Amino acid sequence: MKDNRIKRFFREIHRAFRLQRIFAALHLKKLMEYKVDFVIGALGFLVEQVINIAFLTIIFGRVESLRGWSYYEVLFIYGFSLFPNGLDHLFFDNMWNVAYWLIRKGEFDKYLTRPINTLLIVTVEEFQLDAFGKLIVGIALIATSLRHIDLPFIWYDIPLALIAILFGMLIYASIKTIFGSIAFWTKRSGHILEVAYNLNQFSQYPVSIYSRAVRGAVTYIIPFALTSYYPASYLLRHTQPVFSILAPVVAAIILMSIALFVWHKGLDAYESAGS
Amino acid sequence: MHPLKATKKYLNTYLPFTRAGIQAAMVYRSNFLAWFVGSIVYCLVMYYIWLAVYHASGEGVMNGFTMNDMTVFLFITALTNFLTDSDGSYDVGEEIKDGNVAMRLIKPVSFHSTFLFTEVGWKLLVFGMIFTPVVIGVEIFKYTAYGGLSFDIGMFLLYLFSMMMSYLFSFYMNVCFGFMAFFLKNLWGFNIIKSGILRFVSGAVVPIAFMPDGLRQVLEWLPFSSLCYTPVMIYMGKYSGGEIALRLAIQLGWVIGFYLISRLILATALRHVSVQGG
Repeated sequence: MKDNRIKRFFREIHRAFRLQRIFAALHLKKLMEYKVDFVIGALGFLVEQVINIAFLTIIFGRVESLRGWSYYEVLFIYGFSLFPNGLDHLFFDNMWNVAYWLIRKGEFDKYLTRPINTLLIVTVEEFQLDAFGKLIVGIALIATSLRHIDLPFIWYDIPLALIAILFGMLIYASIKTIFGSIAFWTKRSGHILEVAYNLNQFSQYPVSIYSRAVRGAVTYIIPFALTSYYPASYLLRHTQPVFSILAPVVAAIILMSIALFVWHKGLDAYESAGS
Repeated sequence: MHPLKATKKYLNTYLPFTRAGIQAAMVYRSNFLAWFVGSIVYCLVMYYIWLAVYHASGEGVMNGFTMNDMTVFLFITALTNFLTDSDGSYDVGEEIKDGNVAMRLIKPVSFHSTFLFTEVGWKLLVFGMIFTPVVIGVEIFKYTAYGGLSFDIGMFLLYLFSMMMSYLFSFYMNVCFGFMAFFLKNLWGFNIIKSGILRFVSGAVVPIAFMPDGLRQVLEWLPFSSLCYTPVMIYMGKYSGGEIALRLAIQLGWVIGFYLISRLILATALRHVSVQGG
């Protein structure tokens, strides 16, 4: 019995990956059709990041370091934060549509008719190429900062960084799912999601600049700092290795459990708004 | 027609649009409250960064700004941006794309004024729900930080006037951008690029006084400092009487300039517009 459930779980995951490939291919075809649109969308998110970098560059013209972090270290942390953020944007963008209008307009019903887990189909249906604007800036920042910093590099830092990025992405996705699910009861939760998601702005900079209360909130309550500052500062200085890598993993697992729970409760409570 | 009568007729025609705008804003009030909370989060992040900068530099005053000034700057800038930002580009663009623009054009009303008066309705609600409480908060902060009352009603009225200019400037400029919908599908992405760049060149991200010399001179010459920096500096009392007059005149110039450009674009576009379906 239990054996069967595990098998079924893996079959679902396998199907999800296959569907993700199919939908991604579909979106790439769309990209080829609307090249200019893609460039503009990605450029939009790129410009947003570049302006924040310009801000940092201007203030670092005045000072050597911010609470002990040099210009290139801050760039490294900022760049690192864009990977979990960008990957979440790439794969889980449809949650915004759920929160803002799919449920309210009754269009959510279509997912209920599909022979696959609703959360999986909601996820794989959208593949938001705009996210490349963020990912490109992230790569550029890491590359630039690495030319000026001596990392205390050990080979296993690479798998650790990848784990941190993967689970960081899941932290983002889970928080979005939790707040998006509220729409099952209220028909629309885009604005609540917007408020929660916006707190991620705190995570792009070293948390040592914040007051203790803010630091606690972005580490333990809405833990966006775990997606960026902690793993990035581990890579930079090898400080707090256990907490920096383990905390994102644990937080992601806890948040994912909450997200799955709320989502399924929400589905039970869901009544179509359509006519 | 007698000018007074003409004004009355004008208001009778367009005030219903403002009423509709207020009603629409009431429905979506949770949305713009959420957006505003988002910009407050941004302010807080910036506040802590500047705190660290002032801490690291060891200077009490940088480019004429104390840390208290910077705090006022951040919040008043967010507020001013929120009130003067116009969705004209998006509204006009969407109507062009879905063809609803035809319904607007066949009515005996001005194309621009209908958009303008509707959005003014939105802004009135924002003024009541967000602007007033935040300004009171900032004034309380100023009272405690500077030790003593520094509120100057004359300066505040000049700020409101300057902000109205900023809004009109922003509105007509955005209407011009809206006509890009004739060429672009991804208006949304275009708007993100546009507003990102505008935020920077209007001095909303970094005070123009902090920019490197060359850049600062360029930005002072460009019209965009009129969008946000001018009213904020007036609020903060950073301009003398003569400079205020000059800045307001520049703002007025740009309002008129972009008004004329948007009329020109509208006239040209209407000759080419073809709407399918109904």
